[in-house]
Amino acid sequence: MRLHPLTSLAAACSTAVITTAAASLPLSLAVMGAAVVLSARGGTARRLLPAAAAVLLPLGLSLLVMHGLFFPEGRTVLAQWGVARVTAEGLAFALERAAQLGAVVLALLVFSFSVSVPDLVAVLPSRGVHGRFAFVLASTLTLLPAITSRVERIRQAQESRGLVVRRGVLHRAAAFRLQAVPLVLSLIEDAGTRTAALEARGFSNPGPRTSYRDVPDPRGQRVLRAALLAAAAAAVAARLLLTQAGS
Amino acid sequence: MSPSLTLPAPAPAAARKRRLLEILGAAAIAATYVYLVLNQPADITGGPGSASALIALSGFLVGAILLIVAVLPTLPASTVVLIPVALVLNIVLGQFVGSTLVPFYLDAIGTVLIAVLAGPAAGAATGALSSIVWSFFNPTVLPFAAGAALIGCLAGLAARHGMFRRLYLAPVAGFVTGIIGGVVSAPVAAFVFGGTSGVATGAIVSAFRSMGDTLLAAITKQALISDPMDKAIVFTVVAVLAYALPRRTRLQFPFVRRHRVLAGTSPEQGS
Amino acid sequence: MSAAHHSTETKPILSARIRSFTYHGEGLPVLEGIDLDLAPGTLTAVLGASGSGKSTLGRLLSGWLPPGTGGTLRGFLELAGSRLEFGGSGDPRINPAEWGRHVGFVPQDPAAVLSTVRGTVAEELAFGLENAALGRQAMKTAVEHTAGVLGLTELLEQNPGSLSGGQLRRLAIGCAIIAGPQVLIMDEPFASLDSAGTAGLARLLQDLVKLGTAVVVLSQVVDAPLLDAGTWLVLDNGKVTGSGPPAGLQAGAGLLPPGIRAAGGAPAPARDHTGAVHADTLLPRGGAGVPALELRGVCFGYGGGGRAAGGRTTRRRARGGSPAGDASAQVLKDINLSIKPGEVVAVTGPNGAGKSTLLRHFNGLLRPTAGDVLVHGRDIAGEPPGEAARSVGLLFQQPRDELFERTALREVCFGLDRLFHPGEAAGRALDALSAVGLSGAADAHPAELPASGQRLLALAAVLARKPSVLALDEPTVALDGGGLALLDAAVRSAAGEGAAVVLVTHDLDYARAAAHRVVMLDGGRLDG
Repeated sequence: MRLHPLTSLAAACSTAVITTAAASLPLSLAVMGAAVVLSARGGTARRLLPAAAAVLLPLGLSLLVMHGLFFPEGRTVLAQWGVARVTAEGLAFALERAAQLGAVVLALLVFSFSVSVPDLVAVLPSRGVHGRFAFVLASTLTLLPAITSRVERIRQAQESRGLVVRRGVLHRAAAFRLQAVPLVLSLIEDAGTRTAALEARGFSNPGPRTSYRDVPDPRGQRVLRAALLAAAAAAVAARLLLTQAGS
Repeated sequence: MSPSLTLPAPAPAAARKRRLLEILGAAAIAATYVYLVLNQPADITGGPGSASALIALSGFLVGAILLIVAVLPTLPASTVVLIPVALVLNIVLGQFVGSTLVPFYLDAIGTVLIAVLAGPAAGAATGALSSIVWSFFNPTVLPFAAGAALIGCLAGLAARHGMFRRLYLAPVAGFVTGIIGGVVSAPVAAFVFGGTSGVATGAIVSAFRSMGDTLLAAITKQALISDPMDKAIVFTVVAVLAYALPRRTRLQFPFVRRHRVLAGTSPEQGS
Repeated sequence: MSAAHHSTETKPILSARIRSFTYHGEGLPVLEGIDLDLAPGTLTAVLGASGSGKSTLGRLLSGWLPPGTGGTLRGFLELAGSRLEFGGSGDPRINPAEWGRHVGFVPQDPAAVLSTVRGTVAEELAFGLENAALGRQAMKTAVEHTAGVLGLTELLEQNPGSLSGGQLRRLAIGCAIIAGPQVLIMDEPFASLDSAGTAGLARLLQDLVKLGTAVVVLSQVVDAPLLDAGTWLVLDNGKVTGSGPPAGLQAGAGLLPPGIRAAGGAPAPARDHTGAVHADTLLPRGGAGVPALELRGVCFGYGGGGRAAGGRTTRRRARGGSPAGDASAQVLKDINLSIKPGEVVAVTGPNGAGKSTLLRHFNGLLRPTAGDVLVHGRDIAGEPPGEAARSVGLLFQQPRDELFERTALREVCFGLDRLFHPGEAAGRALDALSAVGLSGAADAHPAELPASGQRLLALAAVLARKPSVLALDEPTVALDGGGLALLDAAVRSAAGEGAAVVLVTHDLDYARAAAHRVVMLDGGRLDG
């Protein structure tokens, strides 16, 4: 069954919220595993895993160094070099946080790598704040690869003019300016043309809109969405109540 | 009857509703910050820190979303079309710098550029949207939406008050913006991440922690080291870019014309 | 004439009386004293050199440059019977969406028209209809009909970002006409189209005119289809210098400013000069000596292991090259080419023949999968393109990628101090500027120069370095008549000083007129 984009969004968000609220290491690890399996079965794992690693490795490393070595609140000292103290509490804290964040990140990335953006844009109402948000999201995702190729084109044109990027921070900063100026200028000019083109095609029309793309939304999925959101709300409420009772 | 070829004048009632949402959004962000700092939840490093994480996340996120809801529908189409361009600049430069071992982010160049060209409201919306759209690839930036909105808003205010008319004033404005932005974003890093998301920034936090600081204090101090420098660089880069734009392009933005944001509105070239 | 059965023939659908139009913050108006009436079922050509104000006029008429936000208009616009007076404070604000239902516009750069939020060509076409709340069935019918008219039916399910230049232009036209506007304005629609593309577009314009659309073409070249226009309006420096049926204004009558080119590439008044290339620069003594540029058995295929500079593989994108879809195919097959110092060689071929790909091999931006590229007998295989650029000056089609300084003079000076003595650099820069006729614009912002001026500035930046090989990509595109004459002079003087010149162009007439030798690139092979 193909999932409606809003259903998968609701699933990803409520998973993220529930994992954060539960703050339990086994659950976080289970969610991480489930996310990887889901993306592997959806065929997105090869793109998703590098993206997730790029986010999670520095984060995890940072947490490990920070809390693994320096955790003044820690009692159980495992090792000590000068001011650095490896404590069991610090390691546990780092692990717990890393797993929790990893679960949230993976759950949300599974959604963003599997969703069809045109479908998502089509199901958001095209007027008012929703329509404009959908525009910003879709336009950014379209422009990103286009801009990478434009930077490449600018670099080629400038090298053909005799620009040699030498090593060193200052040379690189200078080269950055030379490439950024034509890039930003052409992007702003194109945006001006695009504005006029969109306005002429009724981008700011106040009236009702229709959608060319047809995205079916079966009743079962609408019920499922409501249930997922209710579960997330319940998890938050439970966590807040527990904290209240505990303190 | 066929619709008119001209547009009606804007209605004042819409402006009032927008103002109310803006205030609500700002209040949500401020209240969350005050709550987190006053309560200094003890559970940050002891026990599961999830209640404060949830409060930090939801408070800041709700505030940022309210700001977007207030501002986005009222922006002219030319600004809305420019926002994706700004986000792409943020993401491309931010990803690049984030992957290096520099304790800076440089992920707000697009946001500040919009703020300078289109004003504080547009800047705030761009900042918040930037975090939300970027979280499509990197969900860890989502909680910083409120901080990014604040940066955009402050940059727009600085532009309105002439801080971009002189090239040497721009880094000063950036420095001050960085202090405020850093202080506001620190609780997010502390309560949601229990640290920072970069290796270089993490090393600085570790240094303060080794001196016995609490996590929030260490992260706030780290933010006070990184953010002002970072924003000073960003503001300078944006000033250089803005002055490299041809006059006709600069002056197509009503905000730039009305508040004389950039020097050189007289007919001679600003060289 | 043929449209006499239209009862509305005499009554224009769109009229303009522009006393003046001035951009914000500028002292001088860009348009002055323009009267224009567009009747249904007519073709009007607005002719003018680069920078004459054509694009401003087109965008003003189509609501793309609404008076007030874009600049100050004095005068009035009258569309479908309602007149809007402009003249200062309290001006009406144009509703661009409603204006766009009546007047469609296709700008010079069709890629900028894409909404960037629609995943297929069909949805891109439907974007305007969605915003007008048309029912899905009606939209489908309109999309299929428009696609059929423009030959886009096969592409309906493709991503708009993957289209080639010619396909994008047809999509941009489709977006403009799908709602059935009574007026269609097109800015330089024939630029960079090969003869097949031009003929197809001309047929489409004829059909639209027959159906009662008022079609306006803005152009700096008198392309063949414009000879059939009912009215020509000649713009020079923002003012109308002539209007009426083409017969009375044709070149020869002396009423067209020199900036307007006749079709076929050569500048109208300078045809004698360009024809004389062979006469006044004799081919250098043949045979002896090392060729300035030599390609030996060069093969290249994208994705076939071709290395780009810096070790990264360049992925190819539709940019004037071959149409998408044959990305893995061999683009260049066993190319042998040898060019002597002082020789001018033109490489021609239809759109998508691989001309731009070939050009990128001259300085190492692309590396051959097999074969060698030699500059003065030296293999450039290991050299970064920035170093090769010392002897190979390469000029691309899109000048705004190359320009980054705040003034034209600084632009040309850039990097010269590393090649010449600091004292010498400034002099060389000024010489180069005056060689392309831009001495007066030394302090102008490069991006504010008209398109033709930007290309010439980029050329000056290359010429100032005195390259021994000069390679130009589509030099006729975006250059007006004056610019082309200057380019010809610059090419001849560079060749006269011993530089080898390669002109890559789809324009066969221009190639024959400007070069000693014409070679044909088709299907990746070189003939001639």
